[in-house]
Formats: sequence, structure tokens, C-alpha cells
Amino acid sequence: MSLLKVERVHKSYNGLQVLKNVSLDVQAGERHVLIGPNGAGKTTLFHCMTGTLPIDEGVVTVNGRQISGLPPYTAVRVGMARTFQKNNLFDNLTVEENLHLAIAACKPYRFHFFKPFYKYTDLLEEAEQLLKQWDLWERRACVVNQLSYGEQRLLELLLALASKPRLLLLDEPTSGMSPAETAQTTRLMQSMPRSITLLVIEHDMDVVFSIADRITVLHHGEVFLSGAPEEIRGDERVKEIYFGGGAPLYAEA
Amino acid sequence: MKKETVALHVAFVAATMLLPLILTSYGLKLTSEVLIIAMFVMSLGLIIGFAGLVSLGHAAFFGIGAYTVALISEHVDNTWLLLIAAVVTAGIVAFLSGLMFIRSSGAYFLMITLAFGQMLYAIAYKMEGVTGGADGKAVSESFNLGFGAIESRLAFYYVAAAAFLACYYLLRVFLSSPLGKGVRGIKENESRMTALGYNTHLYKLTVYSLSGMMAGFAGALYAYFNQYISPDLLHWMFSGQALIMVIVGGVGTLLGPAIGAGFFVILQNYISSYTERWPIIMGLLFVCLVLYGRGGVIHLASLVWSHLQSKRRTGREKSVLPKEGSGFESLKG
Ligand SMILES: Nc1ncnc2c1ncn2[C@@H]1O[C@H](COP(=O)(O)OP(=O)(O)O)[C@@H](O)[C@H]1O
Ligand SMILES: [Mg+2]
Repeated sequence: MSLLKVERVHKSYNGLQVLKNVSLDVQAGERHVLIGPNGAGKTTLFHCMTGTLPIDEGVVTVNGRQISGLPPYTAVRVGMARTFQKNNLFDNLTVEENLHLAIAACKPYRFHFFKPFYKYTDLLEEAEQLLKQWDLWERRACVVNQLSYGEQRLLELLLALASKPRLLLLDEPTSGMSPAETAQTTRLMQSMPRSITLLVIEHDMDVVFSIADRITVLHHGEVFLSGAPEEIRGDERVKEIYFGGGAPLYAEA
Repeated sequence: MKKETVALHVAFVAATMLLPLILTSYGLKLTSEVLIIAMFVMSLGLIIGFAGLVSLGHAAFFGIGAYTVALISEHVDNTWLLLIAAVVTAGIVAFLSGLMFIRSSGAYFLMITLAFGQMLYAIAYKMEGVTGGADGKAVSESFNLGFGAIESRLAFYYVAAAAFLACYYLLRVFLSSPLGKGVRGIKENESRMTALGYNTHLYKLTVYSLSGMMAGFAGALYAYFNQYISPDLLHWMFSGQALIMVIVGGVGTLLGPAIGAGFFVILQNYISSYTERWPIIMGLLFVCLVLYGRGGVIHLASLVWSHLQSKRRTGREKSVLPKEGSGFESLKG
């Protein structure tokens, strides 16, 4: 059963066409990896799927419910959460406060105005559990600015996980990480239950092949190829896209 | 709450209540004015410091509150009803205008609120038949909540003080609630809040309306206090002064703007009794304050406070974790 369906999506920035007729199907439980050279339109596709940017044409549905054309905050209501390529955190708040905001977003009391935040014990407990599980508990009282880059990257991921999504979109989760942090993040993705469907943009081919069930190659705003990891690994044209074609290189197949 | 914090709040309330013991009659009047203006400036500080909405037309809501009392008191003399009417009217106008403005931000929001405020000013100025035009209107009803008319300066001081404390503690509760935290999150990073699933426009609209209501309430009290209103209450100059008071007092704190209001009103009062050129002197003073006080008076004060604190506990090791709000910090809100 497909959980996320992207159909014939077009998108341009002031006349510059960035996505051309993009269609994509992500099955429930799948680990789907999106690859392609810089500027291929991968991040833009995320923006379009979550409603961060309006699309020019096409339809996006999650679990049969159309979300394209709806305000961006509705994506979370249908179980979709995302991270950003460039850390997008509450820089002046503590780790714990960051997480509290993320968890409260999906609570029925998010709009209450008479009871202090810290009296909602379920909120505090969920935050504690997540922080302990991902080794950020010791750092809970630190302001984001005091974290290492890798820790910030991890927090970026936890904020998305906090809404208990069924569909998680990760935009280059390991970019800028040390090898050890990359390994930790890879383990994190591997250990996620199959009740969470993953769509991941990733450049590090070791990471790609250690998590992917299916890979889609985006090139010049079009879906170039979509298939099982073995098919992609052996494809000469994909190598060509990465090594030739004038696009910047950053990875080896 | 920690013991130290509770003690601080008790002291704060007690000080407000006991202040009349050391004040002259004139001092009482001046302090009442400070408290009313402080409520207004606090409401502006709420949207600037916690929601990131910098308005240059906030006097509109203060003026609406004052005009509501002045105009309706000619027909109705129930103070409760008049106060409620003022708050509701200001709230509705804030909500409806917010519906149109809230999507713009930064300089656009500033300009559009300025234009809106000036439009109301023009209406109050031109519609002489209703509003009294440039001459304004006298308010002859006395303030009476059913416990007898408030006539003395001392009695009115307690009304203003109670209203101020109520507003301050209501805002504290609001800011610590999920809605208040959400508003703060939006100021920090709106795009992330949206990605997390928050309807950020709704949050901003709510806090803007709340702020308008509080400004309207302050305006209503002011009409009783001053017994006279004029279009100046709606003018952008007044909005601009309130903005300066917020900045001077300390953006992003609750009490800062109130302290800024006290500074401004008292200084203006004293300096203007010596010279006609008081705006220049005030301007220079504020430039110095902002330059040396950094984030305003309240930050300056807390700097001094933490300096004293750290002197007291020299030798003790500093904690690795950031300090929790304690002592003076906790009053900042
Ligand atoms: N906000 C924007 N305005 C105009 N052009 C943009 C914007 N964001 C991205 N682009 C352009 O769109 C293309 C795709 O960018 P992006 O989606 O970030 O690619 P990727 O994530 O695959 O590296 C690039 O050519 C980029 O320059
Ligand atoms: Mg990208």
C-alpha cells in the first residue's frame, strides 16, 4: 500500500523550473532514499510535499488524503514530519524547551492558556524518554548554541520524531557529521520501527546502501530512475550523472 | 516555585501596596499614571518581545478603550459595564485588524499598524459631533465598582495598582502556558513552528487580540483617571513613545516595559517642569541608556544583580549547566 503519493508535480521559482512532472510512490514501512546531484531539486521536492512551498501543478496525498494546497501545518496532522538540510532549531531555547514545543504541537492542549507548561506531565515524560533514548539527556539544559554541530543535527531529527510521525522526511541527516556521528545516525535510522516510513535525502553512499529498500534518482528536476538498490548501484547512467554532466561531485557509487 | 521566588513576589506585591505610605498626594497621582501607562506598555511589550510583532499603532487600542468609556459614560454609568465594553471593543478591533495585518511582518507590519492608528486618529479628529473632535471630551462619571465612588487619589492609586498587578500576573500565567510558549516559539523560529504543526497565524492573532484588550483596559482606566480624553491618545506619537518605553525598559521581558514606562513618565514630568526642550533631553538620555544598558533598564539592573551575586559566592565553582531563573531574573517574566 502506498503511504505517500506524489503525482505529476511541477514547481518553478520565478520562472526557473526546478521540478518537472515528478511522480513518486512511497510504500508504507519502506526506507526510500532520494539521491541526485546538488541542485537536482530534492529539497524543493520536500518543501512541496510538506506544503512549505505551494506547488504549481500536481497532487500530493498521504494515506489517500490530499495535502497539496493545504496550509503547511496540516502535514503534521496526517502523520508527516520533516527535518531540514540546514539546522532549523530554536537557537535561544534549551534542548528540553525545543523538544517540549515539538511534542506539544500534537497535543490537544496546545492552545490552552491557563495552566503552566510544566504541569503537563505527559509532555515532560515524553521529552525525557526521547532525550534519554538518544543520549541528549545530559545536555537537556543547554541552549542550542552550546551544542556541537552533530548534537544539533540529532536534535533536528528528534524534533521531527517528537510528533510520532508515520512518515518521516529527512533532508541529508548526516551532512556535516563526523564519521562516528554518521554511524550513530545511520543506526538510529536502521533501528526505527517499520511503523515509521522513511524518505531520506542522502549523499553518503555507504549510508544510502545501508538503509535503502528503494532508491529514486532525481536529476535536473526529473525522476531519472527509481528501483532497488542493486539496480541503482549497477547503473552506468547514474554513475555518469554523478561523475560527468558538469554537476558537482560529492560521492562515489 | 522556589522559596526565594515566592518571597520576591510577596515583596513585590507588598511594595506596590505600601508605596502610598511614602508618597505625597502628587506622587500618588503620578504613580497611578505610571501604573496605567505601564499596563499599556506591557501589552505592547507582549507582542514585541514575545511574538516579534513590532507595532507603531498600539495607541489605537488604548485610545479605543478611553473613547469607549468617554462616549458611553454619557449614557451608562455602570463602571463594570464600561470597562467590559472598552476591553471587548478594543479586542474586537484588534482581532479584525489583526486578521488583515498578521500575515505581514517586520517593517510592513510596522507601517500598516501605523497607518491603521493614524486612520483612527483622523476619525476621532474629524467626527466632531460624536467624539468632540480636536477638543476631546470630558469624562465626568466617577469610578465606582459598587463599593462606593473612588474619589480620592489614594483610592484610585489602589485601583490602578490592583489592575496593574492583575495584568502582570495574568500575563505571567499566559506566557508559561502552552499557548504562551507557542507564541514564544514563533518569535524564535516561525518556519520550524509551522513545520512542527502549529498554525502560527492563529497564535499571533490570539496574542495580538489579547494585547489589544489589555491596551483597551489601560485606556479605559486612563479615561477615568484623567477625566479628559483627546485624539492625542490615538496618535502615532503616543505609539512611538510606548515603543521607546518598551525598548528602554527591556524587550523580551514582562516587567521591563513597565519599568520603561515608569522611567519615561516620571522623567518627562520632572524635566518638562524645568524646560520646554524636554524631548531633546529625554532623547539624549535614552540614547545613552540604550547604548550602555544594552537590553534596557531591566537588563542593566539584572547585570548589577548577578554581579553582586557572583561576588557573594566567589570561590564556589560555577555550574556547567545554565542557571535556572532565580532571584531577580524570575521577576523579569
Ligand atoms: N528559494 C529559492 N529561490 C530560487 N531558486 C531556488 C530556491 N531554492 C532552490 N533554488 C534552486 O532550485 C534548484 C534546486 O534546489 P534544491 O531543491 O535545493 O536542490 P537539492 O536539494 O537537490 O540540492 C537549484 O538550482 C537552486 O538554485
Ligand atoms: Mg538539498
